[in-house]
Amino acid sequence: MIMPRGHQLLLPASPMFMIFSLACALLLDMLQSMAWLGNAAWAPDWLALVLVFWAIHQPLKVGVGVAFVLGLLTDVHQTSLLGQHALTYTVQGFLATMIHRRILWFDVPSQALQVLPVFMTAQILELTVRITAGGLFPGWTVLIAPVIQAFLWPVISVVLLAPQRRAPDPDKHRPL
Amino acid sequence: MPLGTLDRSPPPFFKQGTSALTKLVLFSAISLALMFADMRYNIVQPARWVLSLVVYPVQWVALRPQVLWDQIDDAFVGKQDALQTAEDARAQLLAQAVRSTQVEQLTLENQHLRDLLQLRERLNTSAMAAEVLYEAADPFTRKMILDKGATSGVQTSSPVMDERGILGQVTRVHPLVSEITLVTDREHSIPVLNTRTGARGVAFGESGGAPLLELRYMATNADIEVDDILTTSGVDGVYPPGIPVAKVVKIERRADSVFARILCESLARVQGARHVMVLTPVKSSLPSFRELPPAPQPIPKGGRR
Repeated sequence: MIMPRGHQLLLPASPMFMIFSLACALLLDMLQSMAWLGNAAWAPDWLALVLVFWAIHQPLKVGVGVAFVLGLLTDVHQTSLLGQHALTYTVQGFLATMIHRRILWFDVPSQALQVLPVFMTAQILELTVRITAGGLFPGWTVLIAPVIQAFLWPVISVVLLAPQRRAPDPDKHRPL
Repeated sequence: MPLGTLDRSPPPFFKQGTSALTKLVLFSAISLALMFADMRYNIVQPARWVLSLVVYPVQWVALRPQVLWDQIDDAFVGKQDALQTAEDARAQLLAQAVRSTQVEQLTLENQHLRDLLQLRERLNTSAMAAEVLYEAADPFTRKMILDKGATSGVQTSSPVMDERGILGQVTRVHPLVSEITLVTDREHSIPVLNTRTGARGVAFGESGGAPLLELRYMATNADIEVDDILTTSGVDGVYPPGIPVAKVVKIERRADSVFARILCESLARVQGARHVMVLTPVKSSLPSFRELPPAPQPIPKGGRR
């Protein structure tokens, strides 16, 4: 099998865990907006982050279609224009699918640098769409959100890959 | 098969499904069509209804920590704080008592005068109490979500107020929740009346980032001062007249413009309101044209003979 030297061979990703993590990200987004940050423009979009993560690691299971549906749900929750997040998530899903063959050959910090343009493109697209549609300009802090998301990439790489790093045949000496 | 995983199933070499580019084009087109439909027409409202019902359980779960925190917070309020709140409430009640005892007399007097002048009776609007669930997360607009929806009888375009003044207007109603657009939103405008001079105007949501209102189209030499109170004028058929809206905080009179730039601060708590009243729009209690008495028939000219 062709894979980067020194990398651990991972277990197959469980679809249930992927659904669970996406649901958690949606929940975290809602919690963040409803309880902590309100409509702060710089708030990181956890759902986009998890979505791009799975689109890169499991492109056959999570891709443009899943991104579109989750975008619609986010639109309804955020009371934004219906289709706005659907569009940006679709674009992020597509860009992630485009780079997924290349990006996994790099170490995690380099990966973070490479997903930054994906998040930034989506954010600028969102900004353009909303300003065109007549929304108010929320300030330049909107451009901080993609940077925060890129910084969270190493964290999420550890958390979301943890179930796949377990031993392939656990016994009582190696429970995990 | 993704790189470096121990997947037991063979990867599909030829059957990869629709290509990502095709999907991108398809879903982007759908998104753009949805956005266009959402902006121009009202046809995506049913889709919002359905999706809001799907999202509601997740929102309910996401709100639990906040609710729990509020309960814990309430439970640990100090005795001093509680006493202070009670004291404030009593003082406020006393201050309002003077006015409220006059209300009945004034109402009676008003009715007599209106009877005398044969004016239409003043409209009484009914109201419903609601609680703000959260501020909408969309940074491009200023909206809030209420815990009452179509099942509780909320209608679109109902005015919403808190104890200090007009907060906004219901712009979308979902089955279980409803959205209000705040008076500080850019797309929102409200007809107002200056209580000191009686001059009417229209206050728009300010676009410059700050949660302020802008009183537009007032001439540079108009009689307006800082600290003037603006109330609803009631000419729009939505807001009942006489409810406080905003206070003038800044007036810029510029030589290059016919109009002054007048900034006003909302009196209602546009940030952090919790308990609000949803009023019935005035228009629904106005008589429709069909109820008007028939116009008197002109007497035919030949009838004089």
